[in-house]
Order: sequence, then C-alpha cells, then structure tokens
Amino acid sequence: MNARWAGAAALAVLALLGAAPAEKIQSMLARPQVLCGRFDQQKQLVGLKKPVVSNGRFCVVADKGVLWRTLQPFPNTLKITRDEIIQLNGERVAVRMDARQEPAVRMINSVLFALLAGDLDPLEKIFEIDGAVQEKSWSVKLKPRDGGFGKVISSIFLTGGVYVRSIVISETSGDRTEIEFSAIQTGDGAIRPDEAALF
Amino acid sequence: MNRSGLAVWLWAGMVGLLLAHNLYIWLGARLATDSDILALLPVENRDPVLEKAFAHMVESAQQRLVVLVGAADWDTAVRAADRYLEALAPGKNLLTSDEEISPKREQDWLGLFHKHRLVLMTADDETALRDRDKQYWVDVALTKLYSPGFSIKAGAWQDDPFGLFGAWLQERARETPVRPRDGRLFVAEGARVYVVLPLMVRVPTFSMVAQAALVPLLENARQAARRADSQVEVTVAGIVLYAGAAAAQAKWELSTIGIGSLLGVVALIWLTFHSLKPIALITLSVGVGCLGALSVCSLLFERIHLLTLVFGASLIGGAQDYGTYFLCHRLGADDQLDSHQLLRRLLPSLTLALITTVAGYLALALTPFPGLRQMALFSALGLIFAWLTVIFWFPALASSRDSEGGGPLVRWCAVSLQYWPRIEAYRLTLTKVAVLGLLAALAAFGFARLHAQDDVRLLQNPPKRLIDEQIQLSRVLDAPAPAQFFVARGETAETVLRREETLKQRLDKLVEAKLISGYQAVSNWVPSLRTQEVRRAVVDERLLNGAGALPVLSRRIGSDDIWIAATRERLSKSGEKLTPEEFLSTSAGASVRHLWLGPVSGGYATVVALRGVSAQSLPRLREAGSGLEGIEWVDRVGAISEILARYRTYMSWVVLFSYVAVYALLYRRYRGATWRVVAPTALASIAAMALLGLNGQGVQLFHVLALMLLLGVGIDYGIFLQEEPSRRDPIAWLAVVLSALGTILSFGLLGLSRTPALRSFGLTMLIGTMTVWFLAPCFAGAKQRGET
Repeated sequence: MNARWAGAAALAVLALLGAAPAEKIQSMLARPQVLCGRFDQQKQLVGLKKPVVSNGRFCVVADKGVLWRTLQPFPNTLKITRDEIIQLNGERVAVRMDARQEPAVRMINSVLFALLAGDLDPLEKIFEIDGAVQEKSWSVKLKPRDGGFGKVISSIFLTGGVYVRSIVISETSGDRTEIEFSAIQTGDGAIRPDEAALF
Repeated sequence: MNRSGLAVWLWAGMVGLLLAHNLYIWLGARLATDSDILALLPVENRDPVLEKAFAHMVESAQQRLVVLVGAADWDTAVRAADRYLEALAPGKNLLTSDEEISPKREQDWLGLFHKHRLVLMTADDETALRDRDKQYWVDVALTKLYSPGFSIKAGAWQDDPFGLFGAWLQERARETPVRPRDGRLFVAEGARVYVVLPLMVRVPTFSMVAQAALVPLLENARQAARRADSQVEVTVAGIVLYAGAAAAQAKWELSTIGIGSLLGVVALIWLTFHSLKPIALITLSVGVGCLGALSVCSLLFERIHLLTLVFGASLIGGAQDYGTYFLCHRLGADDQLDSHQLLRRLLPSLTLALITTVAGYLALALTPFPGLRQMALFSALGLIFAWLTVIFWFPALASSRDSEGGGPLVRWCAVSLQYWPRIEAYRLTLTKVAVLGLLAALAAFGFARLHAQDDVRLLQNPPKRLIDEQIQLSRVLDAPAPAQFFVARGETAETVLRREETLKQRLDKLVEAKLISGYQAVSNWVPSLRTQEVRRAVVDERLLNGAGALPVLSRRIGSDDIWIAATRERLSKSGEKLTPEEFLSTSAGASVRHLWLGPVSGGYATVVALRGVSAQSLPRLREAGSGLEGIEWVDRVGAISEILARYRTYMSWVVLFSYVAVYALLYRRYRGATWRVVAPTALASIAAMALLGLNGQGVQLFHVLALMLLLGVGIDYGIFLQEEPSRRDPIAWLAVVLSALGTILSFGLLGLSRTPALRSFGLTMLIGTMTVWFLAPCFAGAKQRGET
C-alpha cells in the first residue's frame, strides 16, 4: 500500500520534473570496483508447496565478471564473465558456455551484470522499465519487450538504495525466484583470496 | 533433271529446312541451354532411391542463396545487413528472404514437444540412466533446483526435473552454430560476428536471363553493405552463382573459339586459293555443318549444354577439311576434268576421312558421361552435314576457274616438301641414332613422371573467389556436406529410424575422434518407436518408480507422496510416442524435412547428413557404413572420380587396340610400309603424353580421349601422304597442311578454355596434330611402298 503510493507519487513527481527515473537511480548507486556479499535465494516452484531455499556468496568485480557461489545446501560455483559462463564443481569445469557463440549467454550475462550493478541503460533495449524513486531507495519493474527473454521471463523486480538490495524473477512457467543481498562489502578486502584466484 | 542435279535440289531443300528450324530456335529463343555441371555427370548409378536422395539434397540447395554479413560487432553487422536487404528490395521478383528458415518460426516449435519430452534425451543421458545410481540423478535434480534463479532453462522445473529434455534440446541446438538474436540469425566465428541471410531465388537457377540480372543485383547489395562500414565483409554462396559464372565463361569461350576459328580458316583459304569464292564455299559447308548439328541436337536432347557449344565451336576447324580437300584437288586437277568426275575420284578417300574422324568422335560416346556424348554427337553431326554439303553441292558450285595457280601457301607447300627430312630405316647414321636415342630417353623420362589425375574438379573450374566464399560459408555455418552422406532404407519408417540409430552409434565414435563435427538425421529428433519404448521403460525404472530417484528427491526437498504421484502423472503424460509424420508436419520438422525421402519404391528412405567432412574422414566414413543392413554410403565426388579413373584406363586400352586394328586394316593396302602410315600418329601421341609428364601434369580421361580423336585425324595425314609418296605433287601435302592448320587452330583455341577437361583435350590435340603434321612427311616413303 505504502510502496504503491510512493511509486505513484514518484511517478507524478517525475512526470512533473520530466526526468527519467533511470537517471535518478543511476545517480543513487555506488559503483565500487569490487562488491561482495551474501545472497539468500528463495525459489517458489510450480507444483512444490515449500519454497526452495539456498544461500551463498557473490562477488561483482568491475570489468571482470561475477562469481556466484551457492554454499547451502548444495555447493556450486558459477563464474560469469563477459565472454562465458562456467560452472565449476570444485576446481573442475563442469559446464562452459561461450558467449561469443551463444547469443543467449551473452544476453543473460549483460542483463545479469546490469542487474547486479543496477545499470539500467543496457536493460532498456530489452525491457520496458517502470521505476519508482524514493528518498534513499528505489524500485524498478522490468518487462521484456519481446524476443528470447519474453519466452522465459514475465517480469523482473529490483529494489535497492546505494546497492541493489533484492531481485525477484518471475518466469512464464510460473516459477519465481527471490534473491536478497546482505552483508555487502566493497573494496579490495571484500573478495577472498580463493575467490580472487578464480578470475 | 539428272541424278546430281536432283541431289543438289534435295540438299537445298534439306538446308532450307535446317535454316528454318534454326531461325525458329533462335528468333523464338527456344534453345534450351544448360550450364548445370551435374548434367555432364554420368548416369551410371541407376539406383532410383540414391538418385532421389541426391536430387533431394541438391534441390534443397539449388534455389537457395546464403549471405553472411560479417563485422567486428553485432550492431555494425545488423546495420550492414539492413543496407544489404534494402539494396536487394528492387529485385524482389528475383530474390526474396527465405521465410522457411526465418528466426520468427522458431517461436512456436517448442510446443510440439510438450507431449513427447519424456522420451527425448541424449544418448549419453540414456547410458547414464542405466549406469548411474539414483543418487546421481537426485543430485542432478537438486543442482538444477538450487541453481541461481537467473540460469537458463526451458520451462518449469517440475516439467523436466532431471534435465533430460533440456540436455537433448541443447544437443539439438549444437547441430548448427546459427542462433536467433534480436529477430535475426546470428553466427560467430573467430573475432567476427555475422548476420545470416537465407535467400530464395524466385527464378530458375539455370536460366541465363535470371543469372544476368542476379549477379549485378547482389554486387550492388554487397557495395551497399560495405558502405555501412568499411570493415564489413560479405560472403555469398549459392548454386546460381556457379551457374552464372559457368554460363558467362562458356559464352565468352564460345565466341572466342568460334570467331577465332572462323577468321583463321578464312585466312588459310585466302592464302591457299587467293580467291573469294573458295572462302564462300568453305564457309557454306562449315555453316551447314553447324546448323545441322544444332538442329538435330536440339531435337534429340532436351537441353544443349553450354560446354557442348564450346566444344562444338572447335568443329569449324575440322569441318572445313572436306571442302578444302575437294578444292585443293580441283586446284591440282586437269582443267578438262569435270567436277563431278573429280568427286567420283575423291569419294573413297573423302569417305574414309569422314569415317575415321566420326569414329574418333563416337569413341567419346562410349563413356557414360552424358555431356561427352552430346559433344561427340554434336561434332559428328557437324562433320557429316559439312561432308554432305561438299558431296552434293561442291561439284556443281566449284569450277576449275575459281582459283588460278593458288596462293602463297600452295607455293610454300611445293617448296617445303622438297626439303622436309625423310626417315629411311636403312640409312641410319650415328647422329640420327643419337638424336633418336635422346628423344626416346626424354619420352621415357616424361612417361616415368606421369601420374593419374581423376579429380571431379576437371569438369568445372569456377572462379577462385566463388570457391573461397563457399568454403568460408560452409566453415562458418558448419554446413553438412552436399555430396557425401548416408542413405538409410527399410520397409517401414520404423526400420529406417532403427537403422539410422545403429549407424549413429558408429558415427559417434568418429565425432569423438574429431574426424567429423557431427551429423543431421531424422532420428536425432524422432527416435525409433523401439528406442522411445526402451527409454520410457528406463525412465520409469530408474527415475519415476517406487525404487527410482523420484521418491528420494521428494524426501530431500521435503515433499510428500502426493507430490510424487502428481509429478509421476505429469511426466508420464509427456511420454507419448512421437512419429516422424507428426514431427515433419510441424514447423520444428522443417529443419530436417530435406533428409526425409519418405515412401520410396520398396519402403522408406532417409538421408543422414554429415558436418565437418574432410578428405581424411572419407575412408573412415565409408568404413562406418559398411556391413550395416539398409545403410549406404554415398560419395558423389568420389564416385565421379572413380568413374573418371575407370574410363581413363578403359579408354587407354581402347586407344591401344584401335592402333592394332588400324594397323591390321591398313596392312592389306600398304604391307611393309604400313608402319610409315601409323608411326607419325603413334609418335605424336607418345610425344603429347611425354610432354605432359615433363610438365608434371596428371593424365586424365580427357587426354586419353583426345588421343583417340588424334588417331582418327592423324592417320588420315599418313594415308594422304603415303598415297602420293613421290613428293612431286604437292596437292596431298597441301590438303594435309590445311587440315592440320585448321585442327591446330580450333583445338588450340579450345586449349584456352578455363574448363580443365576441355583445356586438356584441346592441348593434347594441339600438340598431337602439330607433331603428326611435322612427322607425316618424314615417314611417307616411296622405297618401301607396297603394291597398289
């Protein structure tokens, strides 16, 4: 109720000011070189009564990529760089997908980078962006315009302040994933040596 | 009216008919020409199913044109591709986008698999289902379940918890590197990304009018794309481009050889007779020869191949023989001798000359190459019509006053013959032996260096640029080989699919060994019903049943028996059997429809197409197909090379036996001097082959065929000169000189052809005829002449 009102108000203000919400949000976000933290993921899957819960660590290193380490309950590491997605089982490469060959991988990578960095510019090509800005926080709803993403994803909902705080992905199949970020650290000390070694 | 008068009028009526028919053909543009290289190829393989398979593969490609617009980044490539298509827009009656492979079609095709996904899995997963324990599959499902929310998957987790269908779908995607991207087709290679533009040629590929319009249109579009960005690279490939290049080349060669020969012949006649009338007469005989050949061939054959016309242009030099032979003798004969009496005297030798040459050409028709048969028939007909013109018309038209004294060539002949070296077997000096020994050694060395060359590329020689673009395109798209594939056959569709599956097990080993990059088959998409049943059973046993992975998975995720039952029911519903008919009727089936030959005589047949085929993989592929019931390995390129090789050997023997036969035939007349008649041609053949060896070239069928024709032409010279061995009368020598020069001219010009087969033929004839011409007077001798 509150959020809806805030959104409506923000939209009204924006309409008056004539400024794009994207620009406002961009100005609120910090852009550290290294950003690490904890994530909590909750999947609401069609046909399953209980949500599927997992957590782990993530790191976003500017110009290098994203490390996504699921720790509980099922260890699994995903390294996403601009050129590929690699799934690691321990040190071993289990799956490798080349973004040069697979446009889908490239698209997912660029969207993911943009989502985690709150960088809305590259997203505008793919999604209709509907944003709401409050004093210290913001929220954005992304709806795929058409093409490949529209077949899989019905919407993505982002919230944040200085950093992205949560992402909710709703799929066309009815499956839904909520990811919450916490314990965010920045700077060179944020990334652990074993994580840095993976890049 | 006397008999010869009647003959003149009858022949005039015949020529009138030919003229009318030719006018009908040319004015109405009714001459159906062909530039399809396949039309030249042998029809030996009579198996209708294999023929259908090949036609199917070719037809699916024939009207297609594929364009790659490449750049360093996608946006530039898209921009350039848009410019390219804009530039093509004015020619939309010629060329349009191929909607069948448009990325828009990809939208709906996943829907088909909803009912069948349970039986669609990779061979690796099928093995893993048997070999791995249920814990492995529980882990697979959990990994998928806990995967990051942003990872790619097709559909909800509950529809494919063990990821079998997802893996199968990815395997299908790997059959081509082409991907949809922003509503276009994308492919990447190295540092470049490409927009793929599949185009459809809306006019017959082998229509020369269409080719003439298409080539500038495409070039214009290429320039337009380049203007978008200077780094843009445009690669185009399609059969229509090859056909266009072949047609343009043939047209150019046709006019070069035709006009060149004609001018040469006219010059020769002028130099001989110093009079215009012989030129008119000879041109008349050659002209009737060409009209006749064209008329009869256009009636006999559905279409006349352009290469036939190119080869036929060399006819001009050969068809003038009979006319010049007659006119030479008219020149040399007594003024009192009536032209009709002269003809009666010359008729035996004229007839013999026609028969030997026509026989030489018809030997070409012994091969199973339809193109070669057409060329041989065209040439033989041209000779016959020219000959008939000489027989029927020349006595009436030519008179002794036509050329008084003759031109410079006549005088040169008279003089040159006096000084021509002559070989006398019993007067061999040391120098002569040394020279002969040296030549023999050189010939032996040349022969030792000879090797066979039976490549199919002899038949065509497209511009390098086209080949380069074709290779580049095949590599970037990882396209299946059009001329090498397997054909699977069986009484029912099910049998065919089962046989494909057996073959694929062997092919998988070649893929693993990186000998091929992959294969396309209907059974990749629609497994045989037996395989579907087997998979269904193993899924039930290892995953869905009480003792399977599903209950364990349920416990791990904290679910209950209701969930297990519901999931089992849902998955079971998606295990309906998929038939090829159902699959092929959907949009998803479009990608393999060209592989499905459908019901054929005696059952069903399919093609298994191969990607990444190389010279090294061919023997292994042939091996992979052997010993499997209902599986045949088709290597069109290899088959043609084999036929070329077989006929090269076969025709070599025919040439050898022909020499023996000719020797035996001539022995009755020349006895001990027969060798003097045959030796020049035999030595010329040896010289031509030795030169080939010295030059490091390979021997091919077309060299051997030229030797056959050389025998037909060259023996004549020996006969003519042996008939007049005294060297007092230069007329026989004049006839030989004129005939040889005409032949040298025509085949020399044919030697300029860019089609390797025609070039080899022309050059062999050129070298051979020159040598015979030089050697024939050396061997013609009075001393050992037999009785007459």
